[in-house]
Amino acid sequence: MSASAATAFVKEDYDELARKLRFIITDIICGAGSGHIGGALSLVEILITLYFRIMSVRPEEPRWSDRDRLVLSKGHAGPVLYVTLAEKGYFPREWLPTLNQDGTRLPSHVDQVQTPGVDMTAGSLGQGLSCACGIALASRLNKRNNRVFCIIGDGESDEGQVWEAAMFASHYKLDNLVAICDYNRMQIDGTTDQIMDLEPLADKWKAFGWEVFDIDGHDWDILFSTINKAVAVKGKPAMIIARTVKGKGNALVEAKVGSHNIKVPDKKSWDEYLDACGCRYDLPYCRGE
Amino acid sequence: MDYKNMEMRMVYAHTLNELIEENPNVLCLEADLAKASGTNPVVMEKHPDNFIDIGVAEANMISIAAGLANEGKVPFCASFTCFASRRVYDQVTISVAYANNNVKIVGTAPGITQGPNGGTHMDFLDLAIMRAMPNMHVYSPCDQFELRAVMRHMAVTKQPTYMQLVRSKVPVLREESCAFDPLKAVRLREGNDVTIVTTGYMVQFVMKASDELAKEGLGAEVLHYPSVKPFDGDALVESAKKTGAVVSVENQNILGGLGGVVCETLSERRPTRVKRLGVPDRFGEVATEKYLLDKHGFNVSHIVDAARALARSR
Repeated sequence: MSASAATAFVKEDYDELARKLRFIITDIICGAGSGHIGGALSLVEILITLYFRIMSVRPEEPRWSDRDRLVLSKGHAGPVLYVTLAEKGYFPREWLPTLNQDGTRLPSHVDQVQTPGVDMTAGSLGQGLSCACGIALASRLNKRNNRVFCIIGDGESDEGQVWEAAMFASHYKLDNLVAICDYNRMQIDGTTDQIMDLEPLADKWKAFGWEVFDIDGHDWDILFSTINKAVAVKGKPAMIIARTVKGKGNALVEAKVGSHNIKVPDKKSWDEYLDACGCRYDLPYCRGE
Repeated sequence: MDYKNMEMRMVYAHTLNELIEENPNVLCLEADLAKASGTNPVVMEKHPDNFIDIGVAEANMISIAAGLANEGKVPFCASFTCFASRRVYDQVTISVAYANNNVKIVGTAPGITQGPNGGTHMDFLDLAIMRAMPNMHVYSPCDQFELRAVMRHMAVTKQPTYMQLVRSKVPVLREESCAFDPLKAVRLREGNDVTIVTTGYMVQFVMKASDELAKEGLGAEVLHYPSVKPFDGDALVESAKKTGAVVSVENQNILGGLGGVVCETLSERRPTRVKRLGVPDRFGEVATEKYLLDKHGFNVSHIVDAARALARSR
């Protein structure tokens, strides 16, 4: 698929793109020696759908004032945003293997100062939904019609500030705000059920005044139609609880609690992680080795 | 408007109205303390579209402000210093300073001026912890006119900033037309015998102390730092070369704030004897300002004693 937005949706092409991006995410994290792979792989279909089918953006003009915004509040998922932005043409693919290298513009956690296309810095969990509220409010005050998307983690939802932002967004009727919760049901120390049960999650968001959608976060058609429905909600913000699989598409980490952050000590381990993707792709960059 | 006879918080509110009228991107953010900050009803009623009350959620306020600033807004976020600094330290660090978003944070009722709210609200650390943050400017204006100059500067510069705001009326010490340059200390008195360095609320007390010292024939040079960061080290070093004795006076813990930057600067550039006056590493308590100044050793006579002792020991 070309870097320009696809005009027609062809499922096989999108499946292929998702597999390729998962392979590249795995490779750049292995190249960095460690990284947050699980929560990056769970978001691949969501980010592709947003950037290739939903969001109005100009990669050649990253700060275009009328663009749709994305706040990746679970900032540790940086690698999945980086491969998506590179695929869109925000910056050269040659940047990708610089992930976490000295002097990089692609740090582990997303950074608006460093990376073209990153709309908001995030990494200290719980802040991004508040930031997205500020962006959405500014859009309204500036009488712009852009949409603001915000992706939060399920573990991140333990942070009280998420719920402060939830109250604010509904009180101020921020209907230009669509949040997506990456509900892979795993956090660092265990499953969300074990560590801090979020259920009944949909009811919580409804009680906070949000329109709530509860969907499969890997299904192209459902993602596309649900995000469009969420965007169309009037008078209140919308939350999409996207049920995902942590580490999806990489057999060594898929659906495993330990997939939050992997260590890749050597080339052998690196190869094993690449093999676990189930397919090999030519990497769109050279490493300076 | 008669700013000279106004409470500082009312000056804050009326000046904010002016700034909003000059630039509609200026916003007033509050976290359920708008009456305490002076902006309810002054800003709330005059510019309701620019007034956003976030409720009792200071962390949310700071991160929302970061999002607003990211879109070109100029949010002024006020709360008591304890909530505007220590409670939101991570939000300020990441959403504001690290991301370099143009948020203006206003800590009201600094230090001993928090009086009746006592130890839970009395914060002696805000200058120190805000000063230790990269990208952050830290200001503490001493009177009504300087407050207006500082706010005007904040509204037109793209710079994450923390400002202390004393709420009460204070004696006027600066000219109505005074300018503010964060790179410059303000020399309020010239003297050859001792340098007294101060900022914000304590300036009025230091001026009284310098009057007392003058009666004894001792010339105190008074350097006021409306900007604690950036810090005009040259002015301090020049004065220390002349006097050879430096007293710092602040409405803060003596660790890390103004006394901290004075010692850092002099020990590297011009080793000089220093006495730091302020709160000696103690928490606050419910008390009058006089009680706290007396107890912690930084009232006018303490300042005089410290300056005299240092001047005579040269």
